[in-house]
Amino acid sequence: MNPLKKLFDQLEPDFTHGGKFEKMEPLFDATKTFFFLPSPKNTILPFIRDCLDLKRYMSVVILSLMPVFFFGMYNVGLQAGLARGEAWSFIECMGFGAWHVLPIVIVSYGAGFFWEILFASVRGHKISEGFLVTGLLFPLTLPVTIPLWQVALGISFGVVMGKEIFGGTGRNFLNPALTARAFVFFSYPVSISGDLWVMGPDGVTGATALSIVSQGTESITTALSTQGFGLLELFVGTVPGSIGETSALCCLIGAAILMVTRIGNYRIILGGIAGLLITATLVYLIPGGTDTWANAGPLYHLCAGGFLFGISFMATDPVSAPGTDTARWIFGFLIGFLTVILRVANPAFVEGVMLAILFMNVFAPLLDYLVVRYKASKRIPNV
Amino acid sequence: MQTLNMSKGFKIQLSGRPDHSLIHLPEPDTVAVSGLDIPHIRPKLLVKEGMSVKTGTPIFCDKRYPDIHYVSPGTGQVKHIIFGARRKLWEVVIELSGEEEFESFPALDRPGLDQLPKADLVKQLKQGGLWQCFRQFPAKDVADAELEPPMIILSLEGNDLFSPRPGHLLRDREAAFRYGLGILQRFCPRIIITARQSSLADLGNLAAEVTHVVDDRYPAWDPGVVLYQIKKDVADNGAWSISLQHLLWMAQFLETGQFPTQTLVTVTKPGARKPHLTTRIGAPVNHVAGQLSDGDLITTGQFNGRIARRGSHMGFFETTLNVLPKGQEDEMFGFVRPGVAKPTVSNTFLSRLFKKPMDVDNTLHGEERPCINCSYCEKICPNDLMHSFIFKALLADDIEEALSLGLMDCCRCGLCAFACPSKIELTQILSQGMDTHHKDKF
Repeated sequence: MNPLKKLFDQLEPDFTHGGKFEKMEPLFDATKTFFFLPSPKNTILPFIRDCLDLKRYMSVVILSLMPVFFFGMYNVGLQAGLARGEAWSFIECMGFGAWHVLPIVIVSYGAGFFWEILFASVRGHKISEGFLVTGLLFPLTLPVTIPLWQVALGISFGVVMGKEIFGGTGRNFLNPALTARAFVFFSYPVSISGDLWVMGPDGVTGATALSIVSQGTESITTALSTQGFGLLELFVGTVPGSIGETSALCCLIGAAILMVTRIGNYRIILGGIAGLLITATLVYLIPGGTDTWANAGPLYHLCAGGFLFGISFMATDPVSAPGTDTARWIFGFLIGFLTVILRVANPAFVEGVMLAILFMNVFAPLLDYLVVRYKASKRIPNV
Repeated sequence: MQTLNMSKGFKIQLSGRPDHSLIHLPEPDTVAVSGLDIPHIRPKLLVKEGMSVKTGTPIFCDKRYPDIHYVSPGTGQVKHIIFGARRKLWEVVIELSGEEEFESFPALDRPGLDQLPKADLVKQLKQGGLWQCFRQFPAKDVADAELEPPMIILSLEGNDLFSPRPGHLLRDREAAFRYGLGILQRFCPRIIITARQSSLADLGNLAAEVTHVVDDRYPAWDPGVVLYQIKKDVADNGAWSISLQHLLWMAQFLETGQFPTQTLVTVTKPGARKPHLTTRIGAPVNHVAGQLSDGDLITTGQFNGRIARRGSHMGFFETTLNVLPKGQEDEMFGFVRPGVAKPTVSNTFLSRLFKKPMDVDNTLHGEERPCINCSYCEKICPNDLMHSFIFKALLADDIEEALSLGLMDCCRCGLCAFACPSKIELTQILSQGMDTHHKDKF
């Protein structure tokens, strides 16, 4: 027998009902099932079952986040090197990035799991795999300079207020990772204002693309390019910004993985991109305002900021997104639409995607309701 | 001939398809009338242990319709009457005596059938133990002879993916089949005959009788799916259905006046190709399935049957035994393995890249979790149900909402619970909802 399996079998009596560490059963169970996929015998029809379970489901999301995650680490190092005026090698960039990014991820997982385990123990149910994704998504939306205590506070708010008080995974109507980010965003605007943040520990500051406003008569696109935010840089992602959001390319790779595996719903992603491109084009065609983001055109809107990250990984969270296909198209489209409107019309929040997604999360049940009623009205009644 | 295309359903290939050979099994020692495969029944026993019965002697009836009999498929002595929990009747076991004696009924030739008054025909079928072959939608309860059905759906295929093929059932039975169509015509002018695309070639002359050809993909041939695809208005909801084997029995019973005793069954096992078998109706599971290993689960339909315990007997409605081997219960790092041989309808395993038939096992492949609204159930459902909304309505006891979303269109094919990554027992929840609703009508 596998020695690890033996160890778990030996420990099991202590953690089950009546054992010494009975309260820690969810933690033991989560650890055990991480190593050994449970698969009890069917007793209820159908007697054969698909091999996909939620562990696999969430693992695919984690996999799709890997390009963003590693590029984010590299970019943190790259930007820190640039800020110091030194040309760092790939290894140096990755090393620096890992040194500053990993603590944030570890704190996020640690603090979040504490709450997950607490709620699972009190409620007596298993720890849900959904948090594996939340715990990684949240750090990727943060600037690398965020204080760790804010990370812990943010994820705690996200998990407890965004998910657990509604009954846990499957019953939350807001995306927990975005709830956590929204909490940090509004509570500690200095750390995460979205328009200006400190790159690296040396106190060098750099603006992000969305906060650029052109000086005088030059157009917004010229202003962006002169300050190092050309379309190519924005697409590849070698610009300052939150850890995971800068690279449009890596987000698209992740989105492709999600769409091909059908874990993320392509309707939301494509609907969102369509909504953004159409709205950005319409806004572009409105005369005047050449020096603002209104005139940046669809491609800049697509590549800059966190839109692609948000639409690929946040909006596709199946729990907080609508559950019907038509509603998913509308949901995605409106996220794209609102993102552009917020960027263009609301100078207080230069990054609109977070608010757009949270706003549409609230409307998802309404969209579902309308679609469900419509589809029910099309059926031949059978009572 | 019309073609019905189903865009959803079960799109992967499974191994274990029976081959085309045919074997006659020797006579079993015991047979049984099972109470477990008859939906909605409330059995009332008509025999006691130790009583002698002939082939065709009523064993129990339905308390709700006492004139519908469930009869013995063999001659001998009632050996055991087995009850399960809460005194649910499991089966009545009959030890065969070796000689065959029949309860006799008038034999009818084809003109005789056409001239017999409908009431007498119904009465003969009810007493002969074959009326219950007619099932009535939406609950699939036994058909109500008082009603004029809008259509009768005759499915040439069985409930399982690998049920006996119509080519085998109809070999040398063309006359009986035509006689059977004559019976159906007595009840309804509109008869829908469906067969799978791949079965047509084996049907010979009878292929011309097929009115609707369906996809080869499970569960396109299920009468519930066919009905959903062809129904035009509310009146069609009350259609009847009957399976080919039952129709042939009915024809044989009326033609000879004797209860038919032989049935054609298949045994399927992943990776194996077993022959079609003929045996007595209600034969013991062990007699039909042969050698079994310890962890095997025996079912009478991989998706929509029941668990057949060892030592129990097959039911009147059952034509397939699936031997499902034990799976690997604790697979190390199971959630990150590439999975080249894992049957799945999702795109998350490499097995999706290969077209070869997959071996299934009898484990859940995960644990139950909350519904995450992923719509995998909706994407596979042949009848376009929105399970995530229906099951939540049912769990909240809101039957009206569930009904308005089409609960009674559910054909209990089992695909929703098959696909669910959260391993929620959707089929059971929907089934129980339908049964509760149906029961309330009494």
